[in-house]
Amino acid sequence: MSNVQSCYQCGKCTSICPMRRVSKTSPRSSIYNANVYGLETQDIWTCLTCGLCPQECLQQVDFLSFIREERQGKQPLSIAHLGVFTELAELSSRLNGNIAAKSGDSKIGFFPGCVDSLDLFLHDVKTNFGEITTSSVKLLDKLGMKPQVLNMKCCGHDVLWQGKKDVFDGLKAYNKKYIKESGIDTLVTSCAECYRTFSKDYDLGIKVVHTSQLWDKLGLKINQDVTYHDPCRLGRHMGEYDAPRKALTANGVTLKEMEHSKEKALCCGVSNFMNCNEQTKALRIARMNEAEATGAKTLITTCSKCLAHFNCLKSEKDAVKKYNFDVVDLSVFLAKQLEAGK
Amino acid sequence: MKGSVAVVGGGIAGIQAALDLADSGFKTYLIESRPSIGGVMSQLDKTFPTNDCAMCILSPKLVETARHPNIELLAYSDVKSISGKAGDFKVKVVKKARYVDETKCTGCGSCTEKCPSKVQDEYNAGMSKHKSIYIPFAQAIPRIATIDAAHCLYLTKGKCGVCKKVCGPKAVDYEQKDTEIELNVGSVVLATGFKPFDPSILKNYRFDHPDVITSLQFERLLSASGPTQGHVTKQSDGKVPKNIAFIQCVGSRNPHIDRKHCSSVCCMYATKESIIAKEHDPELNITIFHIDIRAYGKNFEEFYNRAQREYGIKYINSRPPEVIVGANNALSLKYEDFSTGVVTQDFDLIVLSIGLDPADSTRALAQSSGIALDDFGNIATSIESPVESSVAGIYVCGVAQGPKDIPDTVAQASAAASKAAALLSGERGTLIKERKFPDEKQLSPLPRIGVFVCHCGINIGSVVNVPGVVEYARTLPGVAHAREMLYACSSDSQAAIKDAIAKNDLNRVVVASCTPRTHEPLFQNTCREAGLNPYLFELANIREHCSWVHSKEKERATEKAKGIVQMAVAKSALFQPLYKQQVSLINKAIVLGGGVAGMTAALDIANNGYHVTIIEKEKELGGMLREMTELYDGKKPADVLKELIGKVNGNKNINVINEAKLLKVEGYLGNFKGVVLANGKELALDFGAAVVATGARNLEPSGLFNYGKDPHVVTQAQFEKMLGKGISANNITMIQCVGARNKEREYCGRTCCVDAVKNAIRIKKANSKANVFVLYRDMRTYGVMEKLYENARDLGVIFIKYEADNPPKVQGGSVLVHDHMLNQDIELASDLVVLSTPLVAGENEEINQLFKIPLDRNKFFLEAHPKLRPVDFATDGIFLCGSAQAPKLMDEAISQASAAASRACTILSRKFIETEGAVSVVNEAKCIGCGTCVTVCPYNAPSLYDVTVNVEEVTYTTNKSKINAASCKGCGSCAAACPAGAITAQHFSSKEIGEAIDAFDKGVKSISIEKGFVEMTV
Repeated sequence: MSNVQSCYQCGKCTSICPMRRVSKTSPRSSIYNANVYGLETQDIWTCLTCGLCPQECLQQVDFLSFIREERQGKQPLSIAHLGVFTELAELSSRLNGNIAAKSGDSKIGFFPGCVDSLDLFLHDVKTNFGEITTSSVKLLDKLGMKPQVLNMKCCGHDVLWQGKKDVFDGLKAYNKKYIKESGIDTLVTSCAECYRTFSKDYDLGIKVVHTSQLWDKLGLKINQDVTYHDPCRLGRHMGEYDAPRKALTANGVTLKEMEHSKEKALCCGVSNFMNCNEQTKALRIARMNEAEATGAKTLITTCSKCLAHFNCLKSEKDAVKKYNFDVVDLSVFLAKQLEAGK
Repeated sequence: MKGSVAVVGGGIAGIQAALDLADSGFKTYLIESRPSIGGVMSQLDKTFPTNDCAMCILSPKLVETARHPNIELLAYSDVKSISGKAGDFKVKVVKKARYVDETKCTGCGSCTEKCPSKVQDEYNAGMSKHKSIYIPFAQAIPRIATIDAAHCLYLTKGKCGVCKKVCGPKAVDYEQKDTEIELNVGSVVLATGFKPFDPSILKNYRFDHPDVITSLQFERLLSASGPTQGHVTKQSDGKVPKNIAFIQCVGSRNPHIDRKHCSSVCCMYATKESIIAKEHDPELNITIFHIDIRAYGKNFEEFYNRAQREYGIKYINSRPPEVIVGANNALSLKYEDFSTGVVTQDFDLIVLSIGLDPADSTRALAQSSGIALDDFGNIATSIESPVESSVAGIYVCGVAQGPKDIPDTVAQASAAASKAAALLSGERGTLIKERKFPDEKQLSPLPRIGVFVCHCGINIGSVVNVPGVVEYARTLPGVAHAREMLYACSSDSQAAIKDAIAKNDLNRVVVASCTPRTHEPLFQNTCREAGLNPYLFELANIREHCSWVHSKEKERATEKAKGIVQMAVAKSALFQPLYKQQVSLINKAIVLGGGVAGMTAALDIANNGYHVTIIEKEKELGGMLREMTELYDGKKPADVLKELIGKVNGNKNINVINEAKLLKVEGYLGNFKGVVLANGKELALDFGAAVVATGARNLEPSGLFNYGKDPHVVTQAQFEKMLGKGISANNITMIQCVGARNKEREYCGRTCCVDAVKNAIRIKKANSKANVFVLYRDMRTYGVMEKLYENARDLGVIFIKYEADNPPKVQGGSVLVHDHMLNQDIELASDLVVLSTPLVAGENEEINQLFKIPLDRNKFFLEAHPKLRPVDFATDGIFLCGSAQAPKLMDEAISQASAAASRACTILSRKFIETEGAVSVVNEAKCIGCGTCVTVCPYNAPSLYDVTVNVEEVTYTTNKSKINAASCKGCGSCAAACPAGAITAQHFSSKEIGEAIDAFDKGVKSISIEKGFVEMTV
């Protein structure tokens, strides 16, 4: 149970809320309405669950749990891409499916997440999501790690945050069984959302690692300037700000920070494939403008959703603005450098 | 003058001509002698070179023809004679007795099922049998049974009578007689097609052997609707063959049996059939024995190359003289391998690639009506007037004019329609009538759904428990009325549906019967007549989806029928009335390019009564024809041009702007706004339709065969000019395929062989002592052009074949060629070397950007569909003709130009543009302006406009999308692709589809994956 009753309506949350920069949303009033009158507001769907307000909340109101509970069993206002990814997760949760044969005896398991589905349905963002997987495996190999590649179902992150806990539970039960039978003791994932979900929503009892936490040992010598965008799931949700930065600087990269970074980072504007609209587009523009201001040639991130949404803005038919830098996943960036012999 | 046209022949040519004429405001009679329209195309499995399913692209045209209010279909009818004169013809038509009343038959097929007598099936090329009372194929139009009187037991022996007994609607009528009617029409279009050559007259090819079959029979074997459901088997023992041979030119290029012509299509259909057979069974060995492979059309050469490279189909340049039937009836062919000698090879199945003979009806009609035929038995025409017969007001199209493939046929069909429409333009719209409907009634707020479940005779009722489905429907939310019907489509049922709507105050209607493809318009019309918006109707297909495919599982079929009805009911509850909008249009056209194609298109449009502007980049009209000095029929291009330009300049509907260029275009079908730059000034030009006729240019073969270095090496185009002045050279060597059919430029130039042969003849005629050599890879003088090739050889022109990997070499005063037949290098003394180069695309990139119309990989314009829409673009209102689409001969360019004009006139002749009702709409507030919709739309319907978004602290300028209803076809691509869910495909909204799926989902008990298949228990 979330502790909304602790809220004393100071409104700090609303004033710092990224969505408030672009809409009339108010976390404060949604807490108030729910807590005081048991009313629900549309604002529970406007929230990006970025995690900024609970971090800053003086009363330590667990706004994320509040949102998640409020959403359970209700129909989301709008899911982008016609809800195809949700449909896939729902369908997959209903298929019995046998546990696939183990792909080796390694104690390390690597889970690529949903990059294949992204490649299947997101053509217009001109991004090769599958490359995140191939790059990660290459880099793991460079570190001498030979993982089993886990052919699991969706981790369930999106459906959980969309208020479909029953679907999430179905996926979770399957995946837990899968992980148990695979015999691994470390689960490596290249996705910030998977990382959060397996770490916080799964109680696996094994080590969960995000790939960015491994790459500082690669020993590359990269002479480039980049800037780094903290995904909410890796950053504020999991508190991991340093590992991806170290993965860059330890390999020779010069990191140019944006105006808002680490705990204060701005959003990509879309989480769990909800809230694709002109308000959140404004957030993407704001974030991309910050990245542009650093003068770096590359914007690195560690979440495939951030990657998709920034590249979506860049790939628009008649783009709002031409951004002269690439938006690249951390592992893809490093693997390219490795291949280039750096 | 009468505002009506008779189209004789209901194959693809007749269908296209009829549709164009009907769309342009003329009452059109389509007369077909077989029970169904569709012609030979309906028998084809696939079409080259895209391997599109023939029936899948033809069938919508059949349906469109049947539905068209301005077309009167006279199937199973013969034209006896045509008399009268242009504007006022009398056409005598015999409606053959079907012994079935067309007005009563519902096509349910009960009679066919019970009929005890069988007849050879013409549709399956005689390889299977159908009943004596039959519907020729599943998609037949009209879908009416016909009795084969020669085999019907009742009609021949007076016994049986079963069909009459089982016929629910009492349509069988043994007393029916042939009836003769006379049509009074303004013009006639002959589209009588061809007759497949009967190979039994060539005794040496042993067509009597069961495993020697015709290419049309092989086509039926490949077809899923054929006698073996698409499995290629031998007729002798039903086994699968291993080695298959195709023998080309059976009944073509054969003067011995008076078939001098090339049939134009056999090389490609043999290639297509081979590819499909290999796709069915990769183990097959297929060999095609040919003389020349004539892969001359757009993408044909690429198709031919793929057949060899990807499918391993073997092409042997040799003509087996006979089919040898040995011991145990085994088949073999003896042929000359040009490098190793004579070879005998065994085959299990031999396919004779039969040619296209003129139809008997063509000859009979020509004789009875005084229409001239050419040397080959085709309706005679000329290069400048390829669709005009010797009788004014009678036009011709398709194979009746000469062998040709489907796109050329379709183009000619539209061309013939253009000519007939121009002749009768003063009478446009006089003989067609518009439907009047009552006002739409006020809808009550809650859905009151009527469900009508059809037995379809026994088609549905014998499998699906129809009363059970009705009972079930009554329990569904929103259903106010449900009943069963014997034939929902019969006319008394329409009255019953209207009655039920009125009595029960229904505001949504669901009919559970057959396919919406054929029947939705009927029921929508019925709803409309009852005062309901047609978009409040939904069809649940429980015949194709239930009773037909699950005939053995009656209970589960019934369950599925309930599920489908449930989905339709759930979906229909959300339906809202939708309206077509009427948008005004500009009844003027522009033509880009003032060559022969452009001028012809402009003249046709002008003669149809519409104003047209020709925009020509050069100082003078004429295009490439200005560079030519003789046509292959001996006429002087200068004379032809003079006459054509005279007509253009003398036509008050045509405005020519020379040295001009189209700078800008915006707008859509019916309402384009253009800016033209001419004389340094920009002028605004508004138009409703545009024809792109920008032509092509000759390839300059720099660096090839010493061209540019040696003054004795010229191109065929330059040589053409030299011949106009007279030349002194005695030893002339032509090299074909220069810069074509190679890696860099894969396509065949199409016109180069005809040009070379024409010029070779000119030299020989001027100086019979001259030595003329033509070095070639395949001589592609297709169709009736074969006579030029014959003529050239008669005159002593020498043709030497060379191989692509060992091309000739030009050295000083001679050409060195490796003679393939002799396997020797030959040196030909040559004081002039002529290089035949292909036409290449002109500067098409600018226009392609202006109109957003696509180019193919060779930078020619890409038509909407390679078979059935050869002069259309996917974007409405813009049309294409001539060599801008691909290289073509002058008569072909002219046919296409008239076709483009005809297509443009189907728009210009409208009083207004009517939009689709079910179009997509954008919710501006949700749109994020990403432009995905613009990218995915094939019709250029969405466009972006600037909006300033002000969201609290952030302000930015972005695009928003809007969809132009006049261009939108309601396909829903944009709605599916929109990441923000801002677009709704009306009538197919996510909500409507979602409700339908959810309704079904409620009945799903379990779902699992078993052996890779998803298993669902309902």
